[in-house]
Amino acid sequence: MNLALSDEQAMVRDMVRRFLADRYDATTMAKGPMSPDDWRALGELGLFALLTPEQAGGLGGGAAEVMIVSEEMGRALAITPLAEAILLCGRAIAGSAAAEEWGDRLMQGDALLAFAPGGALVDGRLRGSAAIVRDGMDAAAFVVETEAGALMLVDGQDSGVRRTPVRLVDGSMAAHVRFDAVQAQPLTVPAGMWAEAQALAGLSIVAELVGAMASLLDLTVDYVRQRHQFGKPIASFQVVQHRCARMYTWLEQSRSLLLKAALAEEEARVRAVTAARAYIGDAALKLAEEAVQLHGGMGVTDELAIGRGLRRVLLLSRLHGGGIAARAALAA
Amino acid sequence: MDLALTPEQRAFREEVRAFLAASLSPKLRRGAALTSGVFAEPDIAREWQAILEAKGWLVYHWPDHAGGPGWTPVQRWIFEKECAEAGAPILPGMGLKLVGPVLYTYGTQAQKDHYLPRLRTAEHVWAQGFSEPGSGSDLASLRTRAVRDGDHYVVSGHKIWTTQAHHANRLFALVRTDPHVKPQQGISFLLIDMALPGVTVKPILSASGDHELNEVFLDEVRVPVSDRVGEEGQGWSIAKFLLENERGGSSFAPAILADLARLRTSMGPLTGELADRAVRLQLEAEALEMTELRTLIEIEHGAAPDPRSLTTKLLASEIRQGVEALAVDAFGLAGLQLPVERPFYGDAMPTPIGSPEAQVAAARYLNARAWSIFGGTSEIQLTLIAKAALGL
Ligand SMILES: Cc1cc2nc3c(=O)[nH]c(=O)nc-3n(C[C@H](O)[C@H](O)[C@H](O)COP(=O)(O)OP(=O)(O)OC[C@H]3O[C@@H](n4cnc5c(N)ncnc54)[C@H](O)[C@@H]3O)c2cc1C
Repeated sequence: MNLALSDEQAMVRDMVRRFLADRYDATTMAKGPMSPDDWRALGELGLFALLTPEQAGGLGGGAAEVMIVSEEMGRALAITPLAEAILLCGRAIAGSAAAEEWGDRLMQGDALLAFAPGGALVDGRLRGSAAIVRDGMDAAAFVVETEAGALMLVDGQDSGVRRTPVRLVDGSMAAHVRFDAVQAQPLTVPAGMWAEAQALAGLSIVAELVGAMASLLDLTVDYVRQRHQFGKPIASFQVVQHRCARMYTWLEQSRSLLLKAALAEEEARVRAVTAARAYIGDAALKLAEEAVQLHGGMGVTDELAIGRGLRRVLLLSRLHGGGIAARAALAA
Repeated sequence: MDLALTPEQRAFREEVRAFLAASLSPKLRRGAALTSGVFAEPDIAREWQAILEAKGWLVYHWPDHAGGPGWTPVQRWIFEKECAEAGAPILPGMGLKLVGPVLYTYGTQAQKDHYLPRLRTAEHVWAQGFSEPGSGSDLASLRTRAVRDGDHYVVSGHKIWTTQAHHANRLFALVRTDPHVKPQQGISFLLIDMALPGVTVKPILSASGDHELNEVFLDEVRVPVSDRVGEEGQGWSIAKFLLENERGGSSFAPAILADLARLRTSMGPLTGELADRAVRLQLEAEALEMTELRTLIEIEHGAAPDPRSLTTKLLASEIRQGVEALAVDAFGLAGLQLPVERPFYGDAMPTPIGSPEAQVAAARYLNARAWSIFGGTSEIQLTLIAKAALGL
């Protein structure tokens, strides 16, 4: 057993960390979605190719790479479509002709794919709607999972695609998408690939949450050291110390479950990711709430990364049914 | 011992019910239900305040010598409970609940005559200027200076977290009139006309996107000495009196229970963990309601407030936060919408996914985090409880 990063993995982590550190600090973190230019720049650095399977022309990085990259994104509280566009949709198109049309553009950060659950095929055409499609306003195409469970690709240019913007709590833009007799191209997903895609997307989200937890804790510890009330740093009050210490235990427990999920053998991965989701989402939200509380009034504003971080954590921790759905799955 | 209402109290409750049924328009109810912050938005609040004033029930919690209806503690509670169940708007408390009682308790006759009627008609809208950037939990360290110059104080300083200051035209503020004595002894309580030269209000956006909070800059504002309440140096005692009203002046549980019941209707049937959380919150709120009732029944029978009354704001914060978190979870992805448009009931709102209640859930969750911060943080409350109730 070995928990150290390989040289290549450390390089990836350092590259992402440097890239994000140039763009984000406490005043810019989670202020809004990452700009298309920055996203493209990450694509040019080869990051998305690294996380894409070889069948789709990528470099086939695995769960550990997903964890490393996502945790850095979370640490910077960067708001990106990584989990769904790259990990979920990127794998959904891997075995189909769609990979030729979209794969390169996706990996270069030139085009976004969004995941849209909803709609049904009627006479060969897709009809219906997907209520909230993350990044659905910007998506060039949609990977649709129909009500019958089939995966299809829909070009965003199709005249039957109607989008209405829906702003989400982290400031990202989703879309309510209606499909009005839209042409949909069936996707052939290699066996096991879809389950793996979902597991990796889930892993990416919990890794982002762990990164965000680490940042929120760091920012809070800095703040309580520097904020004075009653003539001394509030960090000198034992209550404050204990609460920070408790936050630290949540972070470390979360990191443990994250590592366990990222390093699980493939057959154990789905359960390990579910277990991580079952714990980390709630731990992250509790930690973010404590960070707000220890910042007093400053915590509830939009001015600090703390309040905005709470919004990002709320969204990530509640996706796909959040911890509640994950715990129900484990109990079943 | 018994908990039953007397026939007179039951009749009173019917009267309140009938009034609310007749006076709460669908617009007012909708405005109240889709409010994302702590207090109703100004358009809703103004309308409701005028209706209550016309009925003579606006200052229901003031004693009759101050113009109140002379209700007993239990009558006030019945009124609050009925308002909550009917879904009435929550009026901003800075005037009615905070400075009003200060004025009728500590004010001169001239101050009462001038300010109390204008407060009731909403000609004066009040904001609370206590906190400063360096003085939150440690309020007594406040640094806003008021220097006597003939019939005026010249006031300079920086207030922060001033709720609804952008809608207000009057500010009540704690200022330091004597820097040479113990911090608590050098503080005075001033009423400041916000139209005076030198007053500047700057918005602070909340994480929810709501604009409730402000900074207020005071730059050599000339405040007449006649607008000081109480003696010079008495400001801290007045502030303590006011904060007791802020934390415990009315009951919290009725609104929480009513909101929870309304939410349960819009959330639909809950299962599993969500059902479990809803039951726990319900029980906590019922217990809080009984705790609040115990205290006010004791007061009605002439006893001094028990230190247990210090627990209610703390508990209400936790339960309120639990309720708003439950709503976000119960609405699923639809509960994660957060439009930038305000207010949530206006025509400007984008069409909600799910229901309007789902659309407002995330904003309410975020704003509810402030419950454990404003009016004294939960940590400070726990310290007070340890001292007052347990002698620690
Ligand atoms: C939504 C909202 C509305 C408000 N409206 C108003 C208003 O209208 N007018 C007004 O004057 N003020 C208002 N306030 C300000 C409010 O009263 C202060 O935020 C509050 O007193 C806390 O002060 P602070 O924000 O400076 O936090 P701090 O005092 O800096 O506290 C930071 C953290 O340290 C903890 N802490 C501090 N001291 C101790 C201690 N001795 N022991 C243990 N823990 C400690 C606190 O509990 C908190 O967790 C409002 C605040 C909010 C959030």
